[in-house]
Amino acid sequence: MEFQKATPEERRRYYREEWDIKQIPRFIRHSLYQREFGFDHHGRGPNDRYRTFRNEDHLRKFMRYRTPFEAYTSVAFYQKPNRREGWLKSELVFDVDAKDLPIRSCDCGSVCEVCLDQAKNIVSDLKDTLQGDLGLKEIHMIYSGRGYHLRVQDEEVLGTDSEVRSQIVKYLVGAEVPRSEYSNQGMTYNLEHFTVPFGYPQVFTQRVKQSILYLNEDILMEEVNKKLIKDVIKNRHLLVDDQWGPFRNAIGPIRYKRLVKALAFVNLGLVDAKVSIDLKRILRLPSSLHSMVSMKCTEIKNLETFDPLRDAVPRFVNERRD
Amino acid sequence: MVGVSFINPLSMEGRERVRQLGSLDSLIQDNPELIELVTRSKSQDISEDQDIPRNYLEMALKRLEWYVKKRNDRDFNYRKFAFLFQEDIEKYDIISFYLLSQAIGVRFGPNSRESRLMVESQGSLIQNRLEELNSRERTEIVLKALQELLSQETVKWTFFENLLSSRRIQLSDLVLDQGEVIMDREDFRNRFGSRLQHRDPDKMYQLLIGQELQELILIRMVMQQTENYMAEVHEKARLMVEPNPLLLELADKVTEILIQPTTSYGGSGGGGGYSYTGPLNREAFPPCVKNALEGIKSGGRNDAIVLFITPFVSYARLCPDIFKQNVTVQVSDKDPELQVVHNEVLPLIYEAAERCVPPLFEDQPQEKININAKLGFGMHSNLKLENEGETKWYTPMSCEKIKLHLPHLCRPDEDCKKIGNPLSYYNRKNWILSKERTESEDNVGKEGYNEEKEKEDQANGWIEVKKDDA
Ligand code: SF4
Ligand SMILES: [Zn+2]
Repeated sequence: MEFQKATPEERRRYYREEWDIKQIPRFIRHSLYQREFGFDHHGRGPNDRYRTFRNEDHLRKFMRYRTPFEAYTSVAFYQKPNRREGWLKSELVFDVDAKDLPIRSCDCGSVCEVCLDQAKNIVSDLKDTLQGDLGLKEIHMIYSGRGYHLRVQDEEVLGTDSEVRSQIVKYLVGAEVPRSEYSNQGMTYNLEHFTVPFGYPQVFTQRVKQSILYLNEDILMEEVNKKLIKDVIKNRHLLVDDQWGPFRNAIGPIRYKRLVKALAFVNLGLVDAKVSIDLKRILRLPSSLHSMVSMKCTEIKNLETFDPLRDAVPRFVNERRD
Repeated sequence: MVGVSFINPLSMEGRERVRQLGSLDSLIQDNPELIELVTRSKSQDISEDQDIPRNYLEMALKRLEWYVKKRNDRDFNYRKFAFLFQEDIEKYDIISFYLLSQAIGVRFGPNSRESRLMVESQGSLIQNRLEELNSRERTEIVLKALQELLSQETVKWTFFENLLSSRRIQLSDLVLDQGEVIMDREDFRNRFGSRLQHRDPDKMYQLLIGQELQELILIRMVMQQTENYMAEVHEKARLMVEPNPLLLELADKVTEILIQPTTSYGGSGGGGGYSYTGPLNREAFPPCVKNALEGIKSGGRNDAIVLFITPFVSYARLCPDIFKQNVTVQVSDKDPELQVVHNEVLPLIYEAAERCVPPLFEDQPQEKININAKLGFGMHSNLKLENEGETKWYTPMSCEKIKLHLPHLCRPDEDCKKIGNPLSYYNRKNWILSKERTESEDNVGKEGYNEEKEKEDQANGWIEVKKDDA
């Protein structure tokens, strides 16, 4: 049943019978007039851009009447959204696409229950770090149709520039190996990342752990050969209960260093960094139909219980029958 | 006890000192007290008259000269500048700090080479001054200076937005919890103590935060404020009447320091640090570069292209004498319209990337962004002037680093014995080639190419405290 393109008739049914403007999250509805909208009417990319709506009613009529193939809205707030001018601020966003995960737990080739679930776990980890380390509170999660968006609305980060955002991305995903040498009063001490149970080293440890647990022999990593991957897979059971010391010993310190360096790079692929650093990005409009795969882009209230194959499937899909 | 303003001239104490200053004219008059202070500084070398600043203006210039010389002059004599580290010079130091910032702000504005020199030298000066103190004094003054800068009880990481944006600090340098930056020992113990099972929280604090991180933050904050101050001055000056001629005069002298030819090293005679600027001459590339351009077939593609070829090609084309420059440079200092970058530098880098097996961008298109970043244009898919400065323009790796990280590329030939960096190889080889050419015409060739002093590690990091992340 899943992931077929929606027909024009199905789109029409969706927007006329199922869609409700109230499904658009409040954080977007309240700032409609400051946002740019973009639409893809024929499945050839969002080339109808610079659209603006003065109020919900206009938007509602547009959606009902045009039943767009895909609908997007800017993460940016503008004084003149219809010209993308007078930039005021931008949501801080992270895009986790199940299809593009750097280390995948399945080989379905596109998107399935398994990789969507893996993406969901990543989202949950990222959210924990956003809250626990960065102290951010207004974090909205959206199921995008093929993965997840995290959209942060805390006022204190909305004005940050691309450089700051790229640093946030790197922190969140663990894209750099934490230093392991520290000096104090002329002496140098060794502290591996896994011995520091807080802050960035802890984030890094968690991300690397996940990657190792999902690792398979076909992954290509710079400077990591088959033999090393084999040994990692053989010993990774140690990490299930965080026995990092023994794990590192089993791998050998030099190879361990190479491994974590390669994984730091792999981690960068956990989110699409381009999306996060682009202040003028447009993102799929929550509540709209992802017509390519026939799923609803949906705001998630409770990540734990959210099941895309139950909660984001439009009615017409269930009614599809040959 | 040193005053806070000796470390941070922009502190309240420092600003107060400046307010008390009389007319500007007194600044160029010989100041016996200053001369006296300098001459009797301990370990000060007073053998030459010109080494002693006679008034505020000269003092200001000495501050910068110290930094430039320290970085470039192989025969740098610390004792000629010992007075800069004497606490009793404080009053003169503060005022000369303001003079310099204002002169540079008015005349050149932020983002100029002059302002970079000012900011870098200030960072380095603080670092060196702290190192002169005994450990108790050092801890105290850092604490005191930080307290003023961080006035609030708790500091959120967003407070450092500017420093993160200018990459003076990395988010991962900070110890974060619930959005707050943890700097206090007590606070550290309360938050993390229970999570540390086999380790002493105090020891952990010393290592992870301790003096090092506090100093890092302090220094970077003062550097940032110095830059902001010059930007403010620049804004005001644009709206205001004639700037004081004294400031303009000082500004000109600052430029002189910047363009001062650095002492040429080793031996006398021609060639002195020859560097050739112009279209790339592939004939003069060292073996490692030639190998990399042929395509990387074994591992290490990313590092080879992004960290090795990108800096090498860009500096070789735009600024082959980087290791003799007095401050860090930006690509646009050399190529204001970015034409050379787009037409010559990037194509060559992309060609090398294309030749990799598998072609680098095929599976890792994001490396294009990293290449832009290493050229100093931030993490963007398009290389645009407006993003310049978001990241640093990476200086070329030394042979030592190449042998360590990309050993398969290094296949040294005879000429490699004479150099320590592929870029010096390129300069030297160009010189030899041009000599051969002219020699065959007439017989003017003179002996001796003088090896450049290499200091790529300094050029990569702002100042010593920051670990090289290349
Ligand atoms: S010695 Fe240096 S310049 Fe020569 S090939 Fe090796 S790395 Fe390159
Ligand atoms: Zn799958």
